[in-house]
Amino acid sequence: MSDLLKIENLNYKKNNKAILEDINLNLNSGKIIGLLGENGAGKTTLMRLIAGVNSLPEGVITVDGATKKSEIKQNVSLSDQLGGFNRNTKIGDIVRFYQNVYPDFSESKYLDIAKFLELEDDKRLSALSTGTKGKFIIALALARETKLYLLDEPLSGIDSMSRKKIISSIIRWKDDDSTIIISDHYVTEIASLLDDVIIIKDKTIYQVSSVEAIQEKYHLGVEEYYEQVYEGSVSK
Amino acid sequence: MMEYIDNIPIYLQIKDILYRKIISNEYELGSQLPSVRQLAVQFSANSNTVQKSLKEMTEENVILPQRGKGNFVTEDPEIVEMLKEHIVKEMFDATYDKLHSLNMNDSEIVASFNKYINQREGSHE
Repeated sequence: MSDLLKIENLNYKKNNKAILEDINLNLNSGKIIGLLGENGAGKTTLMRLIAGVNSLPEGVITVDGATKKSEIKQNVSLSDQLGGFNRNTKIGDIVRFYQNVYPDFSESKYLDIAKFLELEDDKRLSALSTGTKGKFIIALALARETKLYLLDEPLSGIDSMSRKKIISSIIRWKDDDSTIIISDHYVTEIASLLDDVIIIKDKTIYQVSSVEAIQEKYHLGVEEYYEQVYEGSVSK
Repeated sequence: MMEYIDNIPIYLQIKDILYRKIISNEYELGSQLPSVRQLAVQFSANSNTVQKSLKEMTEENVILPQRGKGNFVTEDPEIVEMLKEHIVKEMFDATYDKLHSLNMNDSEIVASFNKYINQREGSHE
């Protein structure tokens, strides 16, 4: 196990308003980690900062030894909500776009995942149901062969059958030494997947804990613990 | 999809399910367990979690890892018998305590258990 992701003294403001303050974090390789926080807590912003999509005004982010934004972008697979594509684009064309942009995109891995998730190449984005779109987003993200995957609310608004397939594909196609961070504000369904959880509260990382420690120390489920953290009724 | 009790560590719950499968002979003595990845998919769990369950099962001598091959159920029927006794005891502990708290003494508990078995539909001889 080695340090895969290191964040030091990260501060982020938008329109002069603090979004994230004093973020410090160290993550090892080979884990599945939940990033929890209420809507607007800064989960998406933190993921975009880690992935090198948003510029970092203050602090240092190191991913697998790389600190330059351009290098980090190649080391991190951030789920793409596909807002940048025309609605009439066929999903096969988006796959080809990914192949061109990311040298680590594995076509064979994509095809395996797409087959498992029953994705059809000739469908247009506009024709996808929310569930199918969610599956496609995951297939694209997991098909890159890299060390760090950031999945931003992959289950949000998705029907339960599709959620199960998405969870199953995460387990099937995760390499042993890669780390996946999954953000969500509803945790029970993914709790069995997670090694650790990162809880964001009041603009900063309130706590990083193993799921097991929460269960053993507080005799609580992750969801319950997380709610109590937000209500301020448990202390670390 | 697995239904877990959310305030008990997943690795303990997986270990428990695997032990029940060994006791019920679904996984026979000396047979090979599915791979870590297969178990992870089956249990909707992280492979680190499954590894932890298997590690404890190895330490408790119920399974034996074979280098490069995977994990095998012990060939020793006594170990499985002990495991069975242990799990049966755990189940009885919980039930006995509940019945005792109803102010039933031992002979009343035995009598009511016998009555229960006799009246049960679809008894298992």
